[in-house]
Amino acid sequence: MRAAYCTLNFFDFSHLTKTPMTTDGDNPQTINLTINGVAVAASAAMTLVEAAWHGGVPRVTAVSCLESVCGSCRVLLRRGKEVTVNLACQTFVEDGLEAVFLPPQPPPLHHYEISDFTDGWNIQARFHEIFPEASHCRNCHGCVLSCPKGIDVEGAIALAAAGHFRDAGEAFLECVMCELCDSACPELIAPAHVGLFCRRVTAHFHLRPPNLIYRLEEQRKEKMGLTGASHDEHE
Amino acid sequence: MNMNNGIPLAQASALYRPDADIGSPPVLADPQALLNAFHPDYLGSSVTKLAVGANAGDSCQRELAGLLQAEAIIDEADLAGAPVTDIDVLVIGGGGAGCAAALAAAERGARVLLVTKLRLGDSNTVMAEGGIQVAIEPDDSIQRHIEDTLRGGHDIGNPELVAAMAEDGPDVIRWLIRAGMQFEQTASGDLHTRRAGGMNAARIVHCRDYTGLEMMRVLRESVIQHRAIEVWEQSPAVELLSNEDGRKCVGAVFKSLIDGRFRMVRTHSVILATGGVGRLHLNGFPTSNHLGATGDGLVLAYRIGACLRDLDSFQYHPTGLVYPPHLSGKLVTEGVRAAGAWMLNAAGQRFVDELLPRDIVSAAILRECQEGRGVRVDDGRVGVWLDTPRLERSQPGLLERQFPKLLARFRVSGVDPRHDPLLIHPTLHYQNGGVVIDVNGATTVPGLYAVGEVAGGIHGRNRIMGNALLEIISFGRRAGVAATAQRDRGPKKVTLEHVNRARRDLTLAGIPLTQAAPQILPDYAAKGIWNR
Repeated sequence: MRAAYCTLNFFDFSHLTKTPMTTDGDNPQTINLTINGVAVAASAAMTLVEAAWHGGVPRVTAVSCLESVCGSCRVLLRRGKEVTVNLACQTFVEDGLEAVFLPPQPPPLHHYEISDFTDGWNIQARFHEIFPEASHCRNCHGCVLSCPKGIDVEGAIALAAAGHFRDAGEAFLECVMCELCDSACPELIAPAHVGLFCRRVTAHFHLRPPNLIYRLEEQRKEKMGLTGASHDEHE
Repeated sequence: MNMNNGIPLAQASALYRPDADIGSPPVLADPQALLNAFHPDYLGSSVTKLAVGANAGDSCQRELAGLLQAEAIIDEADLAGAPVTDIDVLVIGGGGAGCAAALAAAERGARVLLVTKLRLGDSNTVMAEGGIQVAIEPDDSIQRHIEDTLRGGHDIGNPELVAAMAEDGPDVIRWLIRAGMQFEQTASGDLHTRRAGGMNAARIVHCRDYTGLEMMRVLRESVIQHRAIEVWEQSPAVELLSNEDGRKCVGAVFKSLIDGRFRMVRTHSVILATGGVGRLHLNGFPTSNHLGATGDGLVLAYRIGACLRDLDSFQYHPTGLVYPPHLSGKLVTEGVRAAGAWMLNAAGQRFVDELLPRDIVSAAILRECQEGRGVRVDDGRVGVWLDTPRLERSQPGLLERQFPKLLARFRVSGVDPRHDPLLIHPTLHYQNGGVVIDVNGATTVPGLYAVGEVAGGIHGRNRIMGNALLEIISFGRRAGVAATAQRDRGPKKVTLEHVNRARRDLTLAGIPLTQAAPQILPDYAAKGIWNR
């Protein structure tokens, strides 16, 4: 017996030429757009990633998860005079759209290693040493407009500058590190990295779960009892 | 068998009621018979025997066997004039396992080069939703974690590896928290735990349903910020390098996606952390995996002589999306079933206990679809319901609180899982087997380590939820430490002797040298990647 799923072909794009299941029309409509300057005739319901593959656009390699959590497929979008940015895997084709895949953001200019932080009392001072630009926000909204996840980046940066790292970090829960806000910021604040700093110091200094610590202590005692040694190989 | 059987979507939608009175699912009398009849691993047509290499004579999935017994992409001529970089530890792969290995090696004082095919963090790790398995609740123990993992894997996993991973669990979480990773807490500050399929205690710790994203962005930032780690992105590995007799791994060759040039790296320790094979779409299945999951590490390891295992065993995750089309194959976390969501066939009946091990649940869904009780969208697509609206009715607000990623992904498509049941079908999710390793992640080839999904032996023939994220950190760190401890001077000479040996073996076995591997990217995404 040949199993039914062996005849299924989920990844051949034929589904893209079919009408989405919530609509009941029969319009395999052609959408004309350009991607990286290449004219592409795509089908409705294709994302820009699928359209780029379909149109054979060369060297589109900034694609990975295809479900908008990896932040790789940054695109610049031009509709007439309006210019925006988004992630290509969550942007659908439109007639006349000009899309350009953006290169990745260069490595951040701000440096810290979390193991350098030993005293939580001076963490606000350390923050301003590492991210001096964070208090220079001129409220231009560029970061907010560029965020494909709808994060209130500007508000969160203000919270971070005021030392409210937990709340600032929570605002960045859905941040996918596309770093489009970093590209947008005229003050070079690097908001995505500020957000991650806030989340990291919150866990680093405040997350001390009793159930985890209890089990770690149990394991430590067990190891000492079994081996008679006093050192802990995990430090 | 007529693949067009099944109840049409419109009819099935009309039958569906979020408040229908539904009893318990039928008791599954013979799980093995179900697997034998419906799980793709167990169908004779999907496997073949390998003819050459360290696993000659072993069963292997058919499409994967083609890649393992393929010609190399490069030969000596390609390396003429290629620049050479020397480094203490080379890590290939920029997901969770690669980053953990790089950080562990750098913490021990090694100079590390991490090279990744796409962007640092582009991986299956970043998509992981459910959480990390770690035995920390009072009614749980490391021993029970070990037992559940071995039993879930049908008792063929390597107990030594499983014990090492389970014992590392609590310290892995501490290491991640120190690096700045957040987890869900209870009101009293404990880590919040969930029980999932195949587990005898609540053991999954998580960060909402963004566990993988939270882990990956913290690791990625740690790697970027670390002074002793250099990162090359957009640089797929196309071959390993060996010493004069082709028996020891002494480096690797990369071909840049940016400028198309070859670059050689020379080292005494190579850590393969290249992930899985979902994008090979084995047996015609959709996949939950990221675009780079093309099994490159398996191909490279096999060619240099490493022993692999369980190459006929893959995980088809029960709840892959059928709709919307651009998310085809993408995952709905098992956490949704762990939280209480049921699965219904087109007639609105439960058909299996939703929290049985993944392979059994998937086989049950395939049975429903093949026997005409699935919901049919069109000729190519059939599935069953995941009853999220009922979950929302019984625990209002739960989906928004605990599964924001699930809701967010649907926002651009106009589907709301709180009101519409999700149409799901098994999706190729995980490579259960892989490169044979010891507790340090060392392979059977000197100088070569393998960690994460590319390695095998921990999950047997079926991985249970939460062990992948634990494995990548546990073994990533172990390999990073072991690779740093190896203190030989490094290679005098680097060669492609193992490639020549593999070519001779293929020729002697009468296998035509028409196919080249590794694959690098799936065909549909590879048009012109190196065209200038």
